[in-house]
Parts: sequence; C-alpha cells; structure tokens
Amino acid sequence: MLKMTHLSKAYRTEVVETYALRDFSIHVREGEFVAVTGPSGSGKTTFLTIAGLLEEFSGGEYQLDGADVRGLNDNQRSRLRNEKIGFIFQAFNLIADLNVQDNIDVPLRYRGLNGAERRRRIQESLARVGLSARARHYPAELSGGQQQRVAIARALAGSPRLLLADEPTGNLDTQMARGVMDLLEELHRDGATIVMVTHDPELAIRAQREVHIVDGQVIDLAAHPRLIVGVQTHA
Amino acid sequence: MFNYYLRLALRSLKRNVVLTALMIAAIGVGIGASMTTLTVFRAMASDPIPQKSAQLFEPQIDNWGPLKHGEVTGESGSLPEQISYTDAMAWMNAHAARRQTAMYATSLALTPSNPEVRPFQVPARATFTDFFPMFDVPFLFGGPWSAADDADHADVVVITRELNDKVFGGANSVGKTVNLDNHDYRVVGVVDRWEPVPRFYDLNNDKYGKPEDLFLPFTRAIDGQMMMWGNNNCSGDVGVGWEGHLRSECVWLQFWAELPTSADAARYRSYLNNYAAEQQRAGRFHWPPHTELHDVREWLVYQHAVSDEVRILVLVSFSFLSVCLLNAMGLMLAKLLGRAGDIGVRRALGASRAAIFGQCLIESAVIGLAGGLLGLALTALGLLGLRSLLSDEVNRLAHLSPVDVGIAVLLAIVATTIAGLYPTWRAAHVQPAWQLKAQ
Amino acid sequence: MELRPILSAMRRNKVGAILIAVQMAITLAILCNGLFIIEQRIMLSKRPTGTDEANIFAITNQWMGQPADLPARLQADLAALRSLPGVVDAYVTNAYPLTNAGWSEGVKLHPDQKSSNAPSALYFADEHGLPTLGLRLISGRNFNAAEVADRGLNDLAPPPAVIITRRLADKLFPGGDALGQAVYVQFQKTRAPIIGIVDQLQVPWVAASGWGSKFSDNAMIEPFRFVAQYSHYIVRARPGQTTVVMRAAEKTLIDVNRARVLRKVQSLTDARAEVYRDDRGLAIILGVVCAALLAVTAFGIVGLTSYWVAQRRRQIGIRRALGATRKAIIRYFQTENFLIAAGGAAMGVAMAVSLNLWMVSSFEMERLHIAYAFVGAIVVLLLGQAAAFWPALRAASVPPALATRGA
Repeated sequence: MLKMTHLSKAYRTEVVETYALRDFSIHVREGEFVAVTGPSGSGKTTFLTIAGLLEEFSGGEYQLDGADVRGLNDNQRSRLRNEKIGFIFQAFNLIADLNVQDNIDVPLRYRGLNGAERRRRIQESLARVGLSARARHYPAELSGGQQQRVAIARALAGSPRLLLADEPTGNLDTQMARGVMDLLEELHRDGATIVMVTHDPELAIRAQREVHIVDGQVIDLAAHPRLIVGVQTHA
Repeated sequence: MFNYYLRLALRSLKRNVVLTALMIAAIGVGIGASMTTLTVFRAMASDPIPQKSAQLFEPQIDNWGPLKHGEVTGESGSLPEQISYTDAMAWMNAHAARRQTAMYATSLALTPSNPEVRPFQVPARATFTDFFPMFDVPFLFGGPWSAADDADHADVVVITRELNDKVFGGANSVGKTVNLDNHDYRVVGVVDRWEPVPRFYDLNNDKYGKPEDLFLPFTRAIDGQMMMWGNNNCSGDVGVGWEGHLRSECVWLQFWAELPTSADAARYRSYLNNYAAEQQRAGRFHWPPHTELHDVREWLVYQHAVSDEVRILVLVSFSFLSVCLLNAMGLMLAKLLGRAGDIGVRRALGASRAAIFGQCLIESAVIGLAGGLLGLALTALGLLGLRSLLSDEVNRLAHLSPVDVGIAVLLAIVATTIAGLYPTWRAAHVQPAWQLKAQ
Repeated sequence: MELRPILSAMRRNKVGAILIAVQMAITLAILCNGLFIIEQRIMLSKRPTGTDEANIFAITNQWMGQPADLPARLQADLAALRSLPGVVDAYVTNAYPLTNAGWSEGVKLHPDQKSSNAPSALYFADEHGLPTLGLRLISGRNFNAAEVADRGLNDLAPPPAVIITRRLADKLFPGGDALGQAVYVQFQKTRAPIIGIVDQLQVPWVAASGWGSKFSDNAMIEPFRFVAQYSHYIVRARPGQTTVVMRAAEKTLIDVNRARVLRKVQSLTDARAEVYRDDRGLAIILGVVCAALLAVTAFGIVGLTSYWVAQRRRQIGIRRALGATRKAIIRYFQTENFLIAAGGAAMGVAMAVSLNLWMVSSFEMERLHIAYAFVGAIVVLLLGQAAAFWPALRAASVPPALATRGA
C-alpha cells in the first residue's frame, strides 16, 4: 500500500543543509496498523506529510497503492490525496466556520460527487463514529474527543485506502484518548490500513507493529503481538 | 461547485463583518467617485447624433491670412472657427452638398396675446430649411418651411414644444401667429423634444445648453438685421453698419453640410479648395487656399467639448479608485492569509490550487458586486451633489443612464477581482504542510 | 530603535508594506495637486474687478425689434435711472466684468503693424462711466461730455481718446510714459491718445484657461454711449441700498417704456457668485475627494496593521516575556509604520511632481510649489502614525504569557 525506498528529504537554507529524512525505507501492507515513533525532531512528522503527498521529497522512491508518485503535478497529487488518503491530525483541523456535516462534506465536494451521494456518505461516516446527533453542531460546541471523531468521520467519508494519523490523541485527555484509540482499532479490524505517528510508546503498543525513527532514519523494526483491547496499560 | 463556493464566500463574509464592511466600503466609495465623474464625462464626450455624425460636416476657410489667426484665437496656425457672410452665401448658392445650411443664433422679444403677461425674450436660430432634415429634427405638428419660404424671406417660424406649451397651451398651433419684435410670424411647425448633448451645431455659447426655442428663415433674419448672439471675430476693415458687417471678413456664422458618402466629402473638400483658390485669384485673399472639413465627432474634439474641469475630476476620481482597490487588495490579503490554516486543511483534503483559486476569486467577485451596488447608490448621490454645486449646464449631463449602471457594476466586479488576483494567488500557494505542522 | 529587525521583519511581509506605501504615495500625489488646484481656483474667484462691486448692479436691456429712435429711448432711460433716489450714477455699455461675455480688440502702437502689441477688452462708457464703476484714476483725467458720442453696434467711428488700465499701459509702454501717447485700435487708422490710466479694470472673461485668461487686466474704455438693441445699464447705488434700488430701477424702466425685455437684473456680487460657480464647485468636490482619500488610506492602514499585529501575537508575547515594555511594543509598530510611510512619502513626492508636470502640459495649469509636496508628505506621515496607533495599542496589550502558551 505505502512503500518508500531510500527516501530522503533535505531542507536547504542559504547556509545550512539539513536532512529531515535520510535513506528512509518503509513498507506498509494493506490492512496493517503501523505506529511510527521517535523523539521530537526525528522526522516522523516529515514522513507523514510526505506520505500524505503534502510535501515533495528530495531523493528515493515512494509508491502509494502501487503508483509511483514522483513527477506528479499538483493537480494529480491533490486528486490522489482526495481519493486515497484520510488525514487525522493532532489539532483536529476542522474548519471553524462550518458545522460538522459541512466539514465532512469538504473532501467530498472536491471529489465531484453529486448531492445525494455526498449526503449518504456523510450520514454513514457520522454513524460510524457515533455522532449522528451532532450533524449541525459547530466544532466550537463539541468536546475535544468529539471533534477528533468528526475529523475521523471526515477522513472516512471518502473511503480512503490509507488513514494517516498524526498524534491523534495528543490534544485529548485520557478518557477521550481511549475512545479515539478504540475507534481506530475498530476501523483496523474492519480492514482499514492505518499509519499512526506518535511519540507515546503506550499508544504505539496498540498498533500492529512499530517503526522507530531517529534523526531521519529507521532504527529498529520491532513487531510485537497485538494487545487485547481494553487492557489498561497504566494506572 | 460555483454554488458551493458562493455559499462559502457569503458565509466567510458574514464571519468577518468588520473586514468585509471595510472592503465593501472602500470599493463602494471608489466606484461612486469614479462613476460620478465618468457619467458626466461620457455625457460630454458622447456623440450627440450617432446615426448621422459621420455625414454632417462643418467647413472652415482661412479668410484672414496666416498672420491673423494667432492674435484672435490665441492659437497660431488654426483657422477661424466660424464663417463670414460672403463665404456662407457663396456656399449656399453653390449647392455643392446634398443638404446645407448657414445659420446663427439671435434673440427676439415675444409679445404674448395676453396683455397682462410681460413680453419675454426668446432665443432663436436663423437657419435655412435644410437644417431640419439634416439634423433629424422631429416634429410634433406641421413641418419645416419650404425652400420657397427661404427664397421669399417669408415671415414664418418653427417653434419648440416648450414654447408651444407656454404660448398656445400645447395645442396644434400650425397656422397661428406669434408676435416677435413687434411683427407677426406664422407658425408652420412645432418641434418635438430635441436636445442634442452637446449642442454640436453651435459650440460658441452654451455648449450643453438647451436648443433654441424658435427657428426662422436665415434670409428673413438678415432682412430684419437681427442681431447676432454669439462670437463675432473680425480682422481687417469692419465696414460701417449692418451692410458693412455683412460685407466684411468678420466670421460669425455656422455652416453645416450633409455629405452622405466619403466620395461626397472628398468632392466637397476639393470644392472648398477651388473656391478658396478662386478668391485668391480674384484678389480677395492674398495667401494660398487653406480650408478644412470636420465631421461632428472631429469638430467636438477640435472644439474641446469636454471641459478641463471634468477631465481633472475624472483623473482624480480614477486615482481615488486605484487607492481604494489597493486598499481592498491589502485587506483581502490580510483576510486570506489569516485563513491560511483553513486553506491548508482544504488542500490536505484534496483541493487543488485551482480549486482554492476559484473559491477565493468568487469571494472577490461577491465583494466586488456588493461594492458595485454600494457604489451605484453613491454615484446617484454624487450626481445630486454635482448638480447642486456646478452650473446648470451640468444638470443636463449628470444623469445615470442604464449603460452607466451596467458600467458601474461591471467595473466594480472586474476591478475587485483583479485586485484580488494577487491575494488569491498567495492563498492558493499556501503550503499545506506548513500550515498543519505549525499547529 | 532597532531598525534592522524591523526592516527584516518587513521584508517577510513585503507585499503588504508595498501596498500601504503605494497607497500613501498616490494619496500624497492627489492631495498635493488637489489642494493646489483648490487654492488656484479660490484665488481665481477672488480676483478683484477694480470696481465698487458691492454697490453696483447691471440691467440687461433688449428692445423689441429695431426701433428707429434708439438714442432718444436711451436718453430717457438714463435720465430716469440717474434721477432715482439712492442712485449715485449710471451709464450704458456694451459689456461689464464677471459675465464671460464682452468685446476685445488688439491694440497697436503703429497703424501699419501687421499684428497688435497687446490684446485688450473693450468697454464703452460716457463720462459717467468711471464714477459709476468707482474706478481709480492713477494719472490723467476722465472723459468730458464733449468727447462722448453715440455709437451703434456696427458703427466704426474712431474714438477721440481712450482710458486704459495700468496693466495695459505697462505692457504697451514699459517705460511708464503711457499718458499722452497714442494707440491704434485694431482696424482704425486714426490715432487715439491715452488721456487717462485707471488702476484696474478686469476683462469680462473669468475662465481659468480660456479667452481672456492671458490678459485679464488689460482693458480699454472708449468714450461712447452704446446705442443698440441689446445693451447693459450699469448703476451704482448708495452703500447698503443696492437691492432696493435694483428693484426700483427695474420698475422704473418698465414704466418708461414697455416695449422691451429686461433679460437680467443682477448685482455684481451675485454675478461674481454665478460666474465662479464651477470653480467653487470644483474646489468643493476636490476637497471632498481629498478628505475621502485620507479616510480610505487611514482605514486601510488600520486594517492591515491590525492583521500584522494578529499574525505576530506570539512574537509580541515573547518580546514582552523578554522584558519589553508596552511602550516599546507601541514604538515598534509605530516605527514600522513610519518606515513604510517614509517610503510611501518619497514615492509620493515624485508622483506629485510628475502628475503636476503632466497636468501643466495638458490643462494649462501652473506648476506646483515644492512646499506643497513637503506639506503633503508631512500630512501623510502624520496620518499613517495616527492610523497605526490603535493597532499598536492593541499589540501592546498582548500578554507575555502568550509566549509559553503557543499560538
């Protein structure tokens, strides 16, 4: 599904050249739930933005769902992003001006779907995250956990091939965080491919396997068995 | 998508009320100012007789000699702007054009039949009968006098609807008489509404004034030694008395010829040159022939129909508009970049740059439309102000026509959209990764 | 003040700064030229005629038809007018100032010259003319009754003498010895000696750039009683009685003879207001536009500066956390605005001068004093500072705690 080979990303200023990612390779197969971990500044956010086609990379190869993304122009990248990827951000990134329903509607509009089809998908994804009752509420009227779930609904509405999550529980308290992680696991059970970036090892454990990045490079790949859902990992 | 973007635009404008209001106000005021002056300018510069302006010509001839021009007109090298009696009569008798008329403005005192009403002054035009078909003058009752009337120096007049209303209560007055300067004249026609703007056929006085209230045969006016109202410029011996005035080289008449095709115009030009050459041979002129022929539009330009004041105002108001647009551009930039976060989200969700561009452009257009409507209201106000501040001549020019309305709104939308191009371009190039990382 | 960081911060917000600077530049250009035009027009409309305007009125008379006994009618009218209570004096003439309508002639020093030495307005007046207008003789004398003759519209008798204005005298005889010299009016072959010079008498035309604008104080008076179907009676009333006497005069003339139309009965004060109406109107309109321009630019500065403040809240919080006082923050933004305004003002002065040069060539205007440009620059700078003050104040109230909390 997501295959990066010897990927590198360099930032050049007038004086200095830094590598956010260097000789970075990762292969996420369909249906996997992978956690990408590492200390701050390690490059994991850069990995995510490149994986999400939000940024270009300097060297190496990246194949998304079998297609090589190098050389695609902005329009093609936007379309790919719209059709294949669902984003879940730490800061939710809902559009404050729009209500829940209209927020979920945004990616569907860029897909070019007709009104009936859009409405159906919005209803379905809201139901999936359990927020059908809040369709007309504005983000400011929802709790952090609810906002994140709306963001997840937004990500799901387009039936993406890949979910990219960046510290999805970073702005949530323990209880809400648990709720969101439960939802992610549920989606994974239903067949979704999820790549989650986090610095929290407790969260990383709930994924299927973990990829650890330090200074832009993969350090160790450790696969560990799936934990039983619901077991508390800390007091 | 258009409807979607429209909805988003309206919603975003509502969210940011103060900023939106500032933008719309800036554009509205700019459009108001520039449309106010543009309306007057367009009226002043408009073709007063578009269906025939290319067929009506005013000839000029040098009957003073090259040295004299600069003194009287202040511009050396230019020809006298009117015609002498000698030349006008020669041209009338030559019939070198399809239709032609010499004419001048005069004034008569009208004594109403009601002795209680004081006599009043009537501005009049002495002209030949060709005047009416030449200038497409519409008639309410009756028609022009005949060529025979011209030849007979007949006591006939054509009056305007306004004068007809005043003296005859609006009834069909053909055949009735009016007393002008203690003499009776028979009414042969009543002219319907006819107000060419500007009064191209005589730009000497009152360029934008109303046409005369009364027309009478040129020959009759000359007979009656009716005084000329307008400019009289003389060079050389003036001659004594009325007869002397007619024989002199004073220029005080206007002359118009109708020349339907360019071939006719070319023929007339050579007629004029031959005539001038003849005058030189006959010893009247001591210089080479110099004549010119201008059609209506050229004549208006030559005579500076648009006043300097209006030109200055147009310049100032459009500069004002440019400041307002720069203002709007700055505010739009501020607004869009303040929304960079949302734009980044949309890009992440699959919006292409073109989609963001389109969305913001429509927002600009909506602001432009609102600004245009405000500007239209302000233009109406501005024209009101102009009419009260400037002289009465402007009154006839300062009115919003449907075309002006269309121009105002279109100008607003186009200008605002162009002003929004840079902010929109910046918005479309917001780096989604940047925005999302910065959280 | 820390200019370098301010400048480098501005470089990152180039476009916004340029937008404000350009707006200020255009505002300055328009302001300077607009104020200049306003001043010019006001000065134009205050030019003196040289007459006792407050107490003079004119009656424009048009006889019906071409009566044969014009001279007799004229005498009757003048006698009636001069004997009215409250009338100081009266005369008949072909033209008078503040009307944009009159006669002009070229004046020559030698009869056989091809072109004239100076253009001049031509006024007819009998010996009552100077007292009626209140003109001040600076040398020589007024006409006497013997010199005055009747003159019709198309008569050609040469004047036996002329009175001219000082300006015309200086133009014709720069040495200052005009009195007693002779001139030849355009087509005449007979010499006309100058028997008197008055301090000032304006030509009838008042347009800023039109007929007469180049010789607005050249006037010549010929000793004639103007006998014509259409002429003007000029009447001087006792101080304070102009309106009353005007109405009485109108009524008296109608009583003397009904076979006429009194086209216009107007005091010179009203004539001045009417003839300069467009100039006054232009001045008012330009004034309004200039004020609006300042307002629009000011609001634009407020808007954009507020945006910059909002954008840099975190940075401001950090500065405050590091020890900057509120005043320092205000000064930061005021300085930033000043730099932009200075750039705009420099651009604007150049624009103002080029705009003026262009208008001078297109509209027959005068050149701008450089003082206008500098005054305008100061106005614009002050405007910018005032407009930036409120956003700067807002910036100063950003709490230092923002530094820790993040955006």
